[in-house]
Order: sequence, then structure tokens, then C-alpha cells
Amino acid sequence: MIYGRIWLVVKPTVGVPLLLGAVAVGSFAVHTALLTNTSWVKKFLNGSAASAVVQTQSTVASVAPPTLQV
Amino acid sequence: MSNATEVWPTGLTEGQALEIHRNLIQGTQMFGVIAALAHLLAYIYSPWLH
Repeated sequence: MIYGRIWLVVKPTVGVPLLLGAVAVGSFAVHTALLTNTSWVKKFLNGSAASAVVQTQSTVASVAPPTLQV
Repeated sequence: MSNATEVWPTGLTEGQALEIHRNLIQGTQMFGVIAALAHLLAYIYSPWLH
């Protein structure tokens, strides 16, 4: 494949750190988004992941639609 | 493959460029395996997708 030839045009000392930096920034953004948009990550980091799992399941159960009485 | 002595902007020969790329791809694959494992552990041990 031709992709390796990129290093004939882009210096590896510039391209490789840029690539790894982009992956790091992307990963940081995803982790930040998870931390800000979920409750269980914060609980997990506070060492109460088990209760986070149970609590999430209980909230799902309580929110479940009422069953139709026929 | 263009001739090995051709001079490119970065000054690398094609062989050197392909060698760097092989290592970069291998590193990326290792990163991918580790990331897949991390996602598996997150799926098992966290409420994610449960």
C-alpha cells in the first residue's frame, strides 16, 4: 500500500508526535465527556462502582413503564 | 517502487519511510488490542451498556 510513503513528504519527527498527540487529545475528550455526562464514572472513581451498578439497575427498574392491567 | 536513490522532501529513501510506517502500524495495532481489552473490562465491570 502507498500509505508508508507519507514519510517521504511529512517528516516523521513531526508526523509521529502529531499523530500520537491527536490520539491523546481524542482519548482525553472522550473520557471528559464520559465523566461529565454519566454518574457512574464518578462513582467508579470514588470506589463505589458496585453500588453504581445496582443503583443504575434500580433506577432502570423504577422508570420501567407500568404493565397494562387487562 | 520508485528508485531507491530518489531524493524526497523529507530526505528519507522509500525503504526508510516504509520501515518507519511498518513500526507505526504495529504500534497502532498494539494500541488497538489494549483499547479493545479496556473496553471489554469496562463493559464487564461498569454499568456501561447495561
